[in-house]
Amino acid sequence: MKKKLSEMDYGEQGTVTEIEKDLQKRVAGMGIRVGKTLRMVTKQPIKGPFDVVVDEAETSLGLDMAGKITVEMTK
Amino acid sequence: MKILLMGHPNVGKSVFFNRLTGANVTESNYPGTTVDYTKGWMKIEGEDVEIVDVPGTFSLDPKDRAEEVAVSMLHESRDAKVIAVIDASKIERGLYLAMEIIEEGYPLVIALNMRDVAEDKNITIDADRLERILGIPVVSTVAIAGEGIKELVSRLKEAKPVNVDDIIANAANASDTESAADAGGAA
Repeated sequence: MKKKLSEMDYGEQGTVTEIEKDLQKRVAGMGIRVGKTLRMVTKQPIKGPFDVVVDEAETSLGLDMAGKITVEMTK
Repeated sequence: MKILLMGHPNVGKSVFFNRLTGANVTESNYPGTTVDYTKGWMKIEGEDVEIVDVPGTFSLDPKDRAEEVAVSMLHESRDAKVIAVIDASKIERGLYLAMEIIEEGYPLVIALNMRDVAEDKNITIDADRLERILGIPVVSTVAIAGEGIKELVSRLKEAKPVNVDDIIANAANASDTESAADAGGAA
């Protein structure tokens, strides 16, 4: 099942399948690229931020960024 | 000679800077901005070397003013050597930035900083192997404790521009030898 990163719930995990083009370079330096496994660790209500773990390191993303990342859920 | 300290925010660039330089330090704004940077001097083998503490940046594709300054400082110093300071516990992102700097043809040395923090997280990094793959010096450091700083300085002269294609070839070889070693181990 595919979801936007912004729709993931606390504790869910998935593999990045698609990142909107204008965001690709911005998040690449933070370790988020297609094929990476993400786990949601903190999700603040209303406008984020969303904290995800990539390669054992935490990264925060704003709501607009999280809405542009598509994730294939693995658990 | 000029040396730029580059890396992500909060990886210890300024700790390196303070360890390397003495009292003769200037802090100023990058012209036309309110982004601060510091520069200072140190002597390496009798030569005066200028060290610049560049603002932290995630990539060479700037997202804010501080990152813009970092990138233009790099581009204005075509003859500079770069020390890429990487958080050893978040090595993947750090190497992304290091590779971007390598791609632009700068001579680079990598400081795998915060080795102690990485060890606390059960992360050990084979710096020698990384060095063989990248073809540039890779030094494990704990900047706040001063570990590895001398080695880093002594190896600055080995910094050289490398071709990305060579790195890709080395990486392919390295994984070949690794799988060969694994197969040998299994047999």
